[in-house]
Amino acid sequence: MTKEKIMFPKARIPYGTWGSSYFPAWQTSALAEINIGQFAGEAMNKIMGMKKVPKTELEYLVIGSTIPWHWKFWNAPMVASCMGHRIPGFHLEQACATGLQAIIHAASEVEGGSSDVVGVLTFDRTSDSPVGVFPERRAYRRTEAIADVWDNFGFDPATGNSMLITAGLAARKYKIDREEVDDLTFHRYKQYFDTIDSGWLDNILIPLEVLNIQGRFLGLINEDTGVRRLSRASLRAQRELDTCITPGSQTHAADGMATLLVTGIEKAKELSTRPEIDIQFVGKTELRVGPSYMPEAPALAVKKLLDRTGLSMDDMLVVKNHNPFAVNDVIFAKVMNYDWHKMNNTGSSLVYGHPQGPTLTRTVIEALEEAVTLGGGYVLVFGCAAGDVGIASIFKVTEGGKKL
Amino acid sequence: MIVSMRQSTLQTLGLGTVLEIFKKHQLPANSSNLVDQVFGANDNRGSLVISGANGIVGAGKAMQLGSRLEAFGVPIVGLDFPGTPDGIGNQFPGLVEAFGAENAQKIMANIIRLNYNGKNLPKELKELKPRFLLEAIPEILEIKKAHYKLFRESFPGVEIRSVTSGFPSSELGVGIAHPAFPHEINKVWEVVEPEPSNITKLLWSLGLIPVPVSDHWSFVLDVLFCGITLAGLRYHQATNMPYWKIDKYIRKFIGPNPFRAHDVIGAKGANFLTWSCLHHLGNNYGELFIPTLDLTERKETGQDWYPPDHFRPMVNWRLDDDESDDFLSWTLGPLFQMTSILLHEQRGNLSNINAIGELCAQFRSGIIATIRDIGADSTIKRVASYHKLHPVAASTAWYPEVFEKMNDPEWQQLYVNAEHDGKVGVITISRESYNHDVDSELNRAIDWLKKEGIHNVIVTGDFHLATQMVGADTSDFFPALENVDEGDRVASTWSLTARRLHNEFKVSVGYINGKRCMGGFLELLIHCHYLVTTDEVKLGMPEVTLPVVPGMEGCHWPFRKTIPENWPKLLKLLLVGNQVKAIDTTGWLCDYTGTQEEALEKVWKLANEEDHGLKLRKVVDTALEGIPTDVQLPASDNEGMETARKVIMETIKDSCSVSLSEALSKQSKHSANFMISKHCKTGTIGTVFNQVMNI
Ligand SMILES: NC(=O)c1ccc[n+]([C@@H]2O[C@H](COP(=O)([O-])OP(=O)(O)OC[C@H]3O[C@@H](n4cnc5c(N)ncnc54)[C@H](O)[C@@H]3O)[C@@H](O)[C@H]2O)c1
Repeated sequence: MTKEKIMFPKARIPYGTWGSSYFPAWQTSALAEINIGQFAGEAMNKIMGMKKVPKTELEYLVIGSTIPWHWKFWNAPMVASCMGHRIPGFHLEQACATGLQAIIHAASEVEGGSSDVVGVLTFDRTSDSPVGVFPERRAYRRTEAIADVWDNFGFDPATGNSMLITAGLAARKYKIDREEVDDLTFHRYKQYFDTIDSGWLDNILIPLEVLNIQGRFLGLINEDTGVRRLSRASLRAQRELDTCITPGSQTHAADGMATLLVTGIEKAKELSTRPEIDIQFVGKTELRVGPSYMPEAPALAVKKLLDRTGLSMDDMLVVKNHNPFAVNDVIFAKVMNYDWHKMNNTGSSLVYGHPQGPTLTRTVIEALEEAVTLGGGYVLVFGCAAGDVGIASIFKVTEGGKKL
Repeated sequence: MIVSMRQSTLQTLGLGTVLEIFKKHQLPANSSNLVDQVFGANDNRGSLVISGANGIVGAGKAMQLGSRLEAFGVPIVGLDFPGTPDGIGNQFPGLVEAFGAENAQKIMANIIRLNYNGKNLPKELKELKPRFLLEAIPEILEIKKAHYKLFRESFPGVEIRSVTSGFPSSELGVGIAHPAFPHEINKVWEVVEPEPSNITKLLWSLGLIPVPVSDHWSFVLDVLFCGITLAGLRYHQATNMPYWKIDKYIRKFIGPNPFRAHDVIGAKGANFLTWSCLHHLGNNYGELFIPTLDLTERKETGQDWYPPDHFRPMVNWRLDDDESDDFLSWTLGPLFQMTSILLHEQRGNLSNINAIGELCAQFRSGIIATIRDIGADSTIKRVASYHKLHPVAASTAWYPEVFEKMNDPEWQQLYVNAEHDGKVGVITISRESYNHDVDSELNRAIDWLKKEGIHNVIVTGDFHLATQMVGADTSDFFPALENVDEGDRVASTWSLTARRLHNEFKVSVGYINGKRCMGGFLELLIHCHYLVTTDEVKLGMPEVTLPVVPGMEGCHWPFRKTIPENWPKLLKLLLVGNQVKAIDTTGWLCDYTGTQEEALEKVWKLANEEDHGLKLRKVVDTALEGIPTDVQLPASDNEGMETARKVIMETIKDSCSVSLSEALSKQSKHSANFMISKHCKTGTIGTVFNQVMNI
């Protein structure tokens, strides 16, 4: 395990200083009724408190979200104020890659020496999508009104195609079999529910009570609402929306937030609940594939990253991706010649839902926690993003698990 | 010779004992004489100058003192810089509300506003003959000292008091009269002076509450209030819990909501003052008091502690049992340690220190009463747990040995004192609302008088800390909202205490002065053989409006003491809940009303069994018949109140229709049963309970 180069030698993720809300499906929870930026700031403060990190330790905040929220103009400083700690920071977005990209950028802040403790806070509310009104001289209607979530998912301006179409096209290109997609989907559900039932996620997913404007109880965000236990037969029975794509084998929109810290080496030891665990950034890459073949992009990004780092799939202890379509995983397995049963062990966004901004942050947190549970090793996290982009990153977890 | 359980707080003002007031039939200080002494005789009256008169304190005190001194022809001079926002004018609507338009105008007309530049006093001031300067300018030592110098040079002999929150008199070179927020209505002033001065006595005679404290950095109120604020800040630092939620927990466990209070006072000024007090305390005492970084930052920015309305908190926080225990260590721990310092330094009379927290800092129970309640061992343990959580605080002084005196009368009789002259005893109560502490202390006072061989007793307020008697402390009923036995226990024990006034003395006289006596306190005092009040006192049984059912025998005792013709009046009193003038209740609630002097004299005669001309209204101990049920009441659209009326009516019928010995439990059962009903839970007590306790 020494052949790799470390991308950010000075940056670390302090073990345990992280957490995520549950991801209730869109329109099903109190999160549909609140300003998600404010919620995320307050929730991060609480999560850090639970993890015994005084918020005053934070020097900088990288926030990530993809759907406009009220007062977004005020950016990370506003969210930091809601956290109760007036620090600077900036907002970053790259569609579904946001949750990973924000972590990488936080690490580059630390690596560059500008801050020693950087908070990463990603969030989104897909519920009640805001509608943007854009004067468009060239459009025949002169003014376009766009419902941010659905209109964008349905139309890539560069290709004219929807997300769904990219999944169908890729499935056809790789000659994917519907049977395998349903098998995989069923397995993913089992992985998720086995983990939830075991209580393993309790350390990561933090129940949060939401208050209304009068300060009274509005709702408890304590489950990934909307996720049903599906049988293999019911998956089979679902109607195909495009080749190999059924409602069950694609993700659903959700609301939520996720957060972690990126710090310098010493700070990581100071803030972590288990300072003996070291979490490093090995590498990251991105790549863009041909028009409307998004689901193959992650696989190719991983390939590229492994080439660059000199690592192989055999080196990976934990493999986890953001898989809005089950075909993503099948294509990945085919391209990398990898057994898809071995990945996404603790759940994946295909099942628990996709609030966009925080999805890959939760994925990373679960992956790192899994690596610690398993005793340490390389962690590969990857996913696709709007524009037929794939993003992949490798982390290295050492010392983990030795004291378990 | 007059003997007492402990020093009366009146004595701390150099005003003698309460017993002497009755004996001499007069108050120990008289406003008119004291005004002459402080401001000069009528033909040569000088003025009161308030500098910083547009400030929070200056404007408030201009109203409080202006409204009291106007009648004596003492001009109030308000001095401030030109161009400062008009603090005094803003007070006018409040003045109209309190005194009516005409009086408000009179009070305002007596306030002369002068501008000056901070260097030369305005010429006009000379004409106004300043005799007393109340300095309320910013909390900066050098500015204050320069200000006194200027005044002393121009007006040698002028009396000066500073309202400073934290500088000792020894640093300032003037006496201190440190007031408490809200300044226009809060009557308490902590005073620092070698001996109680005429100014202090004048404040007392004007109905205010001066409380002597020793000359140290920051006075009792600020040690407690800034102390609890700091404790909240430290908890915030340790856990990230937002200030608003910490406030709710401090309110639940202790009483105040310090962060809200800062915002209400005005965060800009209040943050600075809290910081300033803590900063000086920190320099003088050490880590226990050192302000946190967020306070230091906010004294500069003046930022509010609560989020703005558009960011009303969204994510809730809750404490489980272990976390609650830690919370108590973080908050009560430092308060206990600070209190040990106050006691070690003998900052003041214990009842006074205890009352300051209740009257000025929203403590549900004063700090001394809280410590007494917990006991020395647990208090010491609590501080030890705090030191574990916050080790540097252990380097600051901590005097656990002060709690060894907990069994002394000074500790045991915080709210109730007793004095006697060998024949007549006086029980004084210094708490405006009746609670478990008052109840136990009252029992101990009765025991003490009996042990001293006293058979005749006067029961009264303390002429100092309590300026009225508002009834039961409803927070004592919180457990009774869920537990009927608890309601029954409270009502019956308190009733038994009240009966002791009737049963265990040859003569007992209740005396009421001040504004009003209501609810539980009125029920207590009607148990005395005689009840004497001053003319202006108002009496009332507001329970029905809360709604609750009176628990201390108010539903039958007064019926047993008066003729059937008066019963409809009692029914109205109980079923409508309005206040009535004491003078209109002679013969069915009180036995005599008069001017202060007349009433005091009557009490003294009654207590001494001299010729007083009143006939004892005996308590009928058999069942009463013919309680009217068709009393005409104004309809209420409040369902809770309507139900309470019915239950109170039933209580009256049930408790009057049995013998005296059975009546007590009849009434307490009704009272307890109503307490667990939905009407009580959704009424005032239940609502407050939910807001404060169910968080
Ligand atoms: N705010 C409170 O609740 C409170 C409570 C107790 C004691 N105090 C004490 O009261 C004093 C004043 O505090 P505040 O909160 O009222 O402040 P404030 O800022 O509201 O008022 C101060 C006023 O003094 C005026 N002023 C400044 N320099 C002056 C000078 N040289 N001569 C005359 N006027 C001058 C200012 O223009 C202002 O109107 C401080 O010593 C403070 O510690 C305040």
